[in-house]
Amino acid sequence: MKPISPPRLAQKLFDWFCADSAVEDLRGDIDELFYVNLSRMPAVKAKLKYWIHTFSLITSYAVKKRKRPTIKHSSFDYTMDMLKSYFVIATRSLAKNKFFTIINVLGLAIGMSISLLLIAMLINVSTYDEFHVNKDRIYRVISKTNIRNNWEFVCSPIPLGEKFKSEYGGSAEIVRIDKSLSAVAEFNGKELPLEGYFVDPNFLKVFTFPLVKGNIATVFSKPHSIIITQEAAERMFGTEDPISKVIKMGTFGEFEVTGILKNLPKNSHMQFDILAPYALFESIQQTQPISASVNPWTVLESSYIYLMVPEKNAETEPDHIEAFMDQVAKDAYTKDMEFKATFDLQALTGIVPGPEYVREIGISWEYTGFVIFGVLTLLILLPACFNYTNISISRALKRSKEIGLRKVVGGQRDQIFLQFILETVIVTLLALGVSYLIFTVLRDEFTAMMVAAEFLDLNPTAFTLACFLAFAIFVGLIAGAVPALYFSKLSPIQALKSKSSSKVSIGSNFRKALVVGQFALSLGFIMGVGITVKQHIATLNYNFGFAQENILDVKLQGVDPNIFRNEFSKLSAVQNVSMSSSVMGVSGPATAWIQKPDEKDSTEVLQMFVDHNYIANLDIKLLSGKSFTDQQESKHDVIVNEEFLKQFKIANPAEALDKTFILAGPDGNRGGEFRIIGVAKNFHYSDLRRPIQSFLFRYDSSQFRYANLKVTSNEMHSTLVNLEAVWKTIGGEKKFEARFFDDEIEDAYSFYFSMIKLCGFLGFLAISISCLGLLGMVVYTSENRMKEIGVRKVMGASSTAIAVLLSKDYMKLMLIAAIIATPVTIFLFDIMLSGTQHYRIPIGAIEVILSLLLMLILGVGTILSQTLRAAKANPVDTLRCE
Amino acid sequence: MLLTIAALDEDAYGVAIKEDIEQRTDRSISIGALHSTITRLDEKGLIKSWLGDPTQERGGRRKRYFQLTNLGKAALRDMKALRDELWDLSKMKLAFSA
Repeated sequence: MKPISPPRLAQKLFDWFCADSAVEDLRGDIDELFYVNLSRMPAVKAKLKYWIHTFSLITSYAVKKRKRPTIKHSSFDYTMDMLKSYFVIATRSLAKNKFFTIINVLGLAIGMSISLLLIAMLINVSTYDEFHVNKDRIYRVISKTNIRNNWEFVCSPIPLGEKFKSEYGGSAEIVRIDKSLSAVAEFNGKELPLEGYFVDPNFLKVFTFPLVKGNIATVFSKPHSIIITQEAAERMFGTEDPISKVIKMGTFGEFEVTGILKNLPKNSHMQFDILAPYALFESIQQTQPISASVNPWTVLESSYIYLMVPEKNAETEPDHIEAFMDQVAKDAYTKDMEFKATFDLQALTGIVPGPEYVREIGISWEYTGFVIFGVLTLLILLPACFNYTNISISRALKRSKEIGLRKVVGGQRDQIFLQFILETVIVTLLALGVSYLIFTVLRDEFTAMMVAAEFLDLNPTAFTLACFLAFAIFVGLIAGAVPALYFSKLSPIQALKSKSSSKVSIGSNFRKALVVGQFALSLGFIMGVGITVKQHIATLNYNFGFAQENILDVKLQGVDPNIFRNEFSKLSAVQNVSMSSSVMGVSGPATAWIQKPDEKDSTEVLQMFVDHNYIANLDIKLLSGKSFTDQQESKHDVIVNEEFLKQFKIANPAEALDKTFILAGPDGNRGGEFRIIGVAKNFHYSDLRRPIQSFLFRYDSSQFRYANLKVTSNEMHSTLVNLEAVWKTIGGEKKFEARFFDDEIEDAYSFYFSMIKLCGFLGFLAISISCLGLLGMVVYTSENRMKEIGVRKVMGASSTAIAVLLSKDYMKLMLIAAIIATPVTIFLFDIMLSGTQHYRIPIGAIEVILSLLLMLILGVGTILSQTLRAAKANPVDTLRCE
Repeated sequence: MLLTIAALDEDAYGVAIKEDIEQRTDRSISIGALHSTITRLDEKGLIKSWLGDPTQERGGRRKRYFQLTNLGKAALRDMKALRDELWDLSKMKLAFSA
C-alpha cells in the first residue's frame, strides 16, 4: 500500500506562501501532527486537519514574522544597487557590440517613429472640446434615419428646434445652430470669404468661447449683428477697431460687428469665423419658404441642436430629453411616410474622436481611421520588435557563458530576467531619441498630407513626451520579454558546458518565420506602391470618351452666359465657347427622375445642362441624331447616352430618336415632357470610381455654372492674361477662376498621390526594418561560422562558393516571403481597388515583378554585403586565434 | 505556555508543547495560535530556540526546540509571586463564599 502523505496542494500552498523564509520547523510540525493524527483518525479527517493547520499557520503571526526578514532582504537599497549594476553591465555590453546596438537602435527607432505620430495624434484628439467649462453637461442631437445605409446625421431638421423652443418643458438650455452663414464679406472694398453659424444667443453662455470685446448680454440684441473672431477681424479690418463697423455679407445683407471672439482653440470641433443671431436665420426662412411639397422634417441640411443640461439634474435630464424627442419623432414621422428618423443625444466629449456621422458640423476624427492607422502602426512596430528579439536570441550563444556564470554565483532567475529587460529598455530609450528626430520630420510631412490635420496640434506637450517615454519603456518590455525569458531559463550547466548548445537552435524556426513575415510585409507595401502608381497613370491617360486637352473651365460666378460667350469669342485664341452646369469627369452631376409616358414608376438618371456648343467642343461622339440647335434654348430636347437606351430597353440608337419621356424634378414643376434628339456614345461624365449610368444632356441656360473655352495658343501665359482682362470687363471684382480640364482631372485623382506617399513611406519603413534585421542575422551567422569558412577555404573552396553557402538559407526565406506575399497583396489590392474605382485596370505582371525585383535586390544586397566580406576573409586570420 | 516549556525541559518543540497543553487542559489549540504565542515570547526574549538534528519521522525536517531564558524564568517567578499574593488576599473571601 502506498503510504499516505499530507495533501500535496496544501504543502505547495504553504511552501509558496512562505517562499524562502525559514519555516522548515513549522512545516515539520504540521507534517508530524499529520502522521500522529493518521494513527488516531481516518485519513480523510487527518488530511482535513492538515489543511486546517496549514491555514492556521499561514494566517498566524509566526509566519508573518518569519517572512519579514526575507522582505527586508530585497529592500529598496539593495534593488537600487542591483539596478545600478545592471545598468553598468548593460551599457558595457551595448558598447562592446556597437554594430548590433546600432542595428537594434535604428530598427526600433524607425519602427517607433510612426507610433509616436499615432500617440501624439491620439493625445491631441483626446483633448478636443475639453476646454469647455460645461463640457460634461453639453449634448447634441443626432438624427438616425432610414435613408441610404441608415445614415446617421449630426444635423437635425429645423422644425425639431422649433419644437424644442415651443413644447419642451425641461430645464436644459437649447442652442440651435445653423451652418448656412457663409458668404464673401465686404468692407471698404475688401472682400473676404467668411464662414460661420447662426446661433441662439445662449451659445456663448453654453460654450466656452470668450469674448474679447463686446457685452455677452447684448451682442445679439439686433438681428443684423455679428460676432467675429480675432483672427478673421484682423484679416478684415487690419489694425482698426472692428466694433460697430458694418460689413456686407452677400445676400444676407449688412451686419454690424458687435463683438470679437478670442481665437478658437484648434482642438474645438466647431470652427467658424463669424456668429450671427439665429433669429435672422428664422426670418430668412420665412421669406424663402421651401416649396410646399417638401416636408421640412425630411430635410437634414445644416441645422444643429446642442443642449446643456442644468447641474442639479445632470443625471436625469438627458433621459427626459430623449423621451421628449422620441415623442416628437413619433408625431412628426407618420406611418405613411417613407422617411423615418429618430433622435438621440451625443455627449460633447464623445464627439472627437467619435463614431462616424453624416454632415459633421466641423472637424471629425472617426474611430475607424484610428483603427486603420493603429493597425498600420502595429505592422511597422511589431517587425521592429521582432528584429530585436531575433538578434538577441541569436546572440544567446555568446551571452550564455555570462548567464551561466551569473547563475552559478547565485543569480536568481528573476534577476537575470530583470537584467535583460533593463538592457532592452536602454536600447528602446536610445531608439526613442532617434525616433523623436524622425517624428519631427514626419509630423510636418503628415500634416501637409492630411486634410483635417490642419487642426491637429502635434507639437509635443510635457504630457505627450511623458507618454513617449512610457511607450518606449513599454516597447522595451515587449521586445525584451522573449529574450529575457529565454536567457533566464538557461540552465547554468548547459550554458557553461558546451558551445554548440542544442537549445539555441530551438528558436531558429521561430526566427525564420519572423524574417519571412517581415519580408512579406515589406513586399506587400512595395507592391502596393507599384499597383497604385500604375493605377494612377492609367487613370490620367484613361479615355474618358471626350476631349480634355486645351479646354479651360471658367467659373461663371453669376455672369450672364450670353455676354460671356460674346465677349470671349472675340479673342483669337479662343476657338470655341460652350456652357455647362458642372465639370465633366470630376464631379458627380445632378440627378433627375424620369418615367416613360405610359408608366408610373420613375427611374433615377443623371443630368447635366449644356449648351449647343458643348457636344462639339468636348468632342463627344453622337451615335445618332444631332446636337442642340444653335442658340435656341430647347428645353424639351435631350441627348441621352447608350446606357440610357439599355435601361429603357431601346434596341438601337436610331430607334430612340423622337421618343418621349416624362421628367419629374424634385419640386415637380420643372421639366415636364421631353423628346430625345440625339444619342451619345458612352463617356465618363463622373470620375472613374463610379460606373456609367443613364445620363442625359439638357439645354437650360439658367443652370450654367461653367464656361468651357477651347483655347489654342502657343503662348499660354499671355493668353491667360488676355482672358483675365476680358473677364475684368464683364465679371467685375470677382476673381477669374479658370482651370485646365486635364489639371482638374489630375486633381480629382490626387488621392492616389496620398496613397502612393503613404504606401511608399510605410514600405520604406518596413523594408528598412527588414533589411536591418536581416543584416543583423547575416552578420551574426557569418561571424559564428568564421572558423568553418576558414577551414573550407583552406580545403580549397572558392569565395563565391562560400558566399553562396552562407546566403542560401536567407535566399530561401525571401523566396518563401515572396510566394506568400504576392498573392495576398494582389488579392487585397484587388478588393480595395474594386471598392474605390469602378473602371480600373487589372493588376499587371510588370508592377508585381518590379516590386519583387526591388525587394530581392535590397535583400540580396544586404546578404551579399556581409557574406562576401566573410568569404573574402583570409583563413589565416580566422583560424589563428584559437 | 512558559510553564509548559519549562516542564517539557529538553523536549520542548512545537508538536510536543501542543500535545502537552491539549492533554493537561483538555481543549484543543490551533497550531497557528501556538506558534504565534511562541514567536511573541521569543520577541520579548523570554524564551530562546535552536534547531535540532534532522529526524526521519518529519521527512528530514529539523525540529525547533525552545528553552526558557533567564528573563523568562524571572518572569515566571514574578508571575507566581503575583498570583500567590493575590491568592493569599482572596483566600478569606473565597472561604467565605464557600
